[in-house]
Amino acid sequence: MDSSFIIGLAGIAVLIILIAIRVPIAYSMLIVGISGVTILSGPAVILSQLKDLVYAQFSIYDLSVVPMFILMGSLATFAGLSRDLFQAANAWLGRFRGGVAMSTIVACAGFGSVCGSSLATASTMGKVALPELKRLKYSPALATGTVAAGGTLGILIPPSIVLVIYAIIVEANIATMFMAALVPGLLAVGLFILTISIYVLIVPEAGPPAEKIGFTETKKATLAVLPVLCIFGIVIGGIYVGAFNPTPAAAIGAFLIGLYGVIRKKISWNNLIEALLETAKTSGMIYLILIGAETLKIFMSRGRVPMEAAELMISSGLSPYMILVLLLIALIILGCFMDSLSMIILAIPFFWPVISELNFGMPEDSVKIWFGIIALIVVELGLITPPVGLNVFVIKSLSGDIPISETFKGVMPFFLMELVRVTLIILFPAIVLALPEFLSG
Amino acid sequence: MGLVNYTRQLIRLWALLGGFILIGIILMTAYSATSNLLLNAPVAGDFEIVEMGVALAVFCFLPFCQLERANVSVDIFTMNAGPKSEVLMSILASTIAVLFASLLLWRMSLGMTDYREYEEYTAILSIPIWIAFPPILFSLFLLILASLITTAESFRKLLRLKVEGKLKKPDFK
Repeated sequence: MDSSFIIGLAGIAVLIILIAIRVPIAYSMLIVGISGVTILSGPAVILSQLKDLVYAQFSIYDLSVVPMFILMGSLATFAGLSRDLFQAANAWLGRFRGGVAMSTIVACAGFGSVCGSSLATASTMGKVALPELKRLKYSPALATGTVAAGGTLGILIPPSIVLVIYAIIVEANIATMFMAALVPGLLAVGLFILTISIYVLIVPEAGPPAEKIGFTETKKATLAVLPVLCIFGIVIGGIYVGAFNPTPAAAIGAFLIGLYGVIRKKISWNNLIEALLETAKTSGMIYLILIGAETLKIFMSRGRVPMEAAELMISSGLSPYMILVLLLIALIILGCFMDSLSMIILAIPFFWPVISELNFGMPEDSVKIWFGIIALIVVELGLITPPVGLNVFVIKSLSGDIPISETFKGVMPFFLMELVRVTLIILFPAIVLALPEFLSG
Repeated sequence: MGLVNYTRQLIRLWALLGGFILIGIILMTAYSATSNLLLNAPVAGDFEIVEMGVALAVFCFLPFCQLERANVSVDIFTMNAGPKSEVLMSILASTIAVLFASLLLWRMSLGMTDYREYEEYTAILSIPIWIAFPPILFSLFLLILASLITTAESFRKLLRLKVEGKLKKPDFK
């Protein structure tokens, strides 16, 4: 171990301290990255890179989908998507025992796919679903647990911003990642619905059925979400069949959602301004973190930290799957404290070099896709892990009188089901890899 | 006080300008992709406009992002921190933002000089790269102002806490 490696490790320690005392993650990375490179190689290197580094990063073509999808998501919020989705799902599923909880899951998946933030999905859907669940006398544990768990669904269902960021970090194809994420994402919806069915089988009074909704009502509710579903069909289908790249797809999606909202008179001028400012905040935050990650990467690679850590891991004599599980546990723990996007940007540059050196009996490109999907699921799992999961706290602030221990109790079955899903994907990589292989022929 | 409010308004409007640039890029890209699909005639060099336009838009967003304190931080370890340490932490964060924004403004203005001296153009549309820089530098200038405003806000809070602390002391005796 040479001194630059030790300086690199010290840098990580300082980074953790800064993040822990509430310095924004982006600035923590920037300050450690810039001063780290200065210590290792003198000020000239980083000073000359800063002349162009930020513009070069901001003008990466693939990244341009990020602000476009964010704008699409905030426009969709104003278009009343959360309520429409919930009502449509409810019209079909509400009549069954536990059905309103199942509808919440379906609506969360639909809303989360556009929204891209678990916390925002949990809070938006919570506002719509919790009053209804309460009215029908669902048990507080099941009601709040469902919304907290449902919030985590969006990350995989395309279009997902975190998925785009992962693809850019490991240099994977964005369209391929979108294809790979679909089956695991839908699997989660299925498994969560199964969880609810088992739950109400054991505790029938936890999820009483809602009153039946007539045919005309059902038709109306379903028709209301149809245009939006079509728009997503065009965006995602267009990417899948190769009609357009992710950036044009995002542009078309944002345009169509905006048009839909204006035609239905749901998006006013003030809504548009608000959506733009929301996009400004979220995009600015993400791009700043990416710059932080870039300076940190320059520092870390000069200190050879990812390489040395990878060598250390590989020479430890653990089997590839043991190392994978260790890294995943680390991600779950870190995911409890940080939002998934920051987590992915921070951890993947360290974890991917380790994983890419291991032999899982697949080509490296497949491992890239497979590991990405698993990592994304696991990071989201942190959001519902007792005793700190952030999603649970969001629900707490919405539901007021329901104690947080109840929510954690309700989240536990979903948490266990997520472990089942991760295990399935680790054992059968085909769940992830089959669709991209099929679509790209 | 009036000046600060004007600056706030300016930062907000600047972010909105970035937003409208983004909308322009979206419309152009959507048109280009559709025209490519149907008529096999995309807008020439559309990706160059996307790259430069989105970069410009994001730079416009940064000051607003700072002003609204939208940069994510982790507060789970300091949830039980007292109001005073909370304010001190936020002063630290804002100061770092001032330093970073100033450093970047200095370096990127030199970056613009480089681009002007070596005359770099985009490949298809031959747009000189340096023309993106003046609005970017202005964004960074606004970012400095935004971070100064958030720093001042935190200091004012600190002062208020001190005053309240002094007033409260007799109660404890």
